[in-house]
Amino acid sequence: MIRRLPGSGRIALAVVLLLWIVAAVSPFFRGRAAEIRLGERLQPPSLVHPFGTDDLGRDLAARVVVATPISLAIGLVAAAMSLAVGFGVGGAAGYLGGAADVVLSRVIEVVLCFPVLFLLLALAAFLPPSPATVVLAIGLTTWPADARYARAEILKAKSLDYARAAKAAGATPARILLRHLLPNALPPLLVSAAFGVSWAILAEAALSFLGVGLPAPAASWGGILSAAPAYIEEAWWIALFPGLALFATVSAYNLLAEGLRQATTNPE
Amino acid sequence: MIAYVLRRLALAIPTLFGIVVLVFLLLHLAPGSPASAVGSGESGRRVSAAAREEMRRLYGLDRPLPERFARWIGRVARLDLGDSFVDRRPVSARIREALPATLALNGLALFFTLAIGIPIGVAAGGRPEGPFDRTSAIVLFALYSMPVFWAALLLQTLLSVKLGWLPLYGVSSDPPPTGLAGVADRLAHLALPVTCLTYASLAFFARLVRAGVVEARSQDYVTAALARGVSRRGALWRHAFRNALLPLITLLGLLLPGLLSGSVIVERIFAWPGLGRLYFDSILSRDYPVVLGLSLIGAVATLAATLAADLAYAFADPRVREGS
Repeated sequence: MIRRLPGSGRIALAVVLLLWIVAAVSPFFRGRAAEIRLGERLQPPSLVHPFGTDDLGRDLAARVVVATPISLAIGLVAAAMSLAVGFGVGGAAGYLGGAADVVLSRVIEVVLCFPVLFLLLALAAFLPPSPATVVLAIGLTTWPADARYARAEILKAKSLDYARAAKAAGATPARILLRHLLPNALPPLLVSAAFGVSWAILAEAALSFLGVGLPAPAASWGGILSAAPAYIEEAWWIALFPGLALFATVSAYNLLAEGLRQATTNPE
Repeated sequence: MIAYVLRRLALAIPTLFGIVVLVFLLLHLAPGSPASAVGSGESGRRVSAAAREEMRRLYGLDRPLPERFARWIGRVARLDLGDSFVDRRPVSARIREALPATLALNGLALFFTLAIGIPIGVAAGGRPEGPFDRTSAIVLFALYSMPVFWAALLLQTLLSVKLGWLPLYGVSSDPPPTGLAGVADRLAHLALPVTCLTYASLAFFARLVRAGVVEARSQDYVTAALARGVSRRGALWRHAFRNALLPLITLLGLLLPGLLSGSVIVERIFAWPGLGRLYFDSILSRDYPVVLGLSLIGAVATLAATLAADLAYAFADPRVREGS
């Protein structure tokens, strides 16, 4: 699969790996990220503080590094949840067909009618604040897109010869689903997953930026950015660097998804 | 055509019912409601006894579930969204006040999305893999991946703080200038929020237009038009684009929830007194009637927009209304 990735996709994969390496070494920076030095507050980027310092004199570079595993992990888990719900509902609708399809398709349509951020904010603010709440809120609001996709994929695969042959040979529905349809749906699933992670990271950042994401002191990139508007006149670096990390991560996952799509749809 | 319209309307009824049910479920998540009686230890998220009492009275939360649901349906059917907890005024009045600001913002954003997105998409799709297509693909991709609140902060830093060209936030200066200067002042205040709301949907939309045009330009009728001596530009716009446009009509309805989502963040950053900010403020102040009312209206508006888009599609494409 990696061999088939276009150049941009390989670069994106390298960036994603690099981000996870940063996440792995981030515990070493925890001390500096939490250390408050009021004498050094709001200092612009320098050799000592490459990203500058925040309003409490904490080193922004260390804070951005320490936030990496938080943003990445929440994105991954929330995307996995969204995929599981989406492929469950969409797959069932596509596979069962008939009345089940009609009902499940209506359910998907209902959730799609709501502005995602409306539901996301309501869930995140009304449930007790915790990482689990953030994951749950993202997973429960973003699944309809995955569901639509899964439904279309299963419908397409169901009519293909190998699925019909398996059915003619007397395979049980479960066997057809697990042994025939699922392996063939794997490449699109991977593409969905990569897009889903970038979406979930953005959603978490938006929630934390708005102040209803992770409870303090755990700060994701969005959480660090939430302090930026208050200091916009004097400390542009608080806005620039955490956002840059976010932008790089989201781009990398999007680019990876795009590359995976090309690699799986063009056999050449 | 009439049969198609009726069928499409009938399909919307269960969806409408589903929306009403989903908002009802949302109500039961709210602190102070039966479902969330346990948990939540943080004081900031607890609600006062008075608010709890108010919730009980308003939504009949001490009643059994079927009765509660019947009550909710009754209120929705009478279009009665209740009164705001914050200032005791009807929810509908508060929504009506905030609506114009959001309509102005989103209307302009939608206009620019189409006015910029369509030419870019057609130009890029007209010569796939050409220099313009490659460049625009990179730019659109970057815009697509850029979080809106980050873009807003950067634009504010650069254009408002460093260069001083545009106001940082708000609807108008205080006191607002009169006459022509007042109009210019309003436009200057609109520039940044509209830009932030436009760029993401623009990136999304231009890519769709491009994909549609790429597919349409390889069709026989485009080749036939070129063979008849129609100019390349004419074939692209009058033949390829017009056919690529059709499926895009149905997507217009789905742009609405995205714009409303973006509105929450953009209105918050730019202190814009619209629906997005009303929603966010109501979430923070636990003003449930407003939260539920806005959720309901946002979803119903999306449903109506999708419906209108589907009907417009059928009107434009006889194959849809007369086909199976």
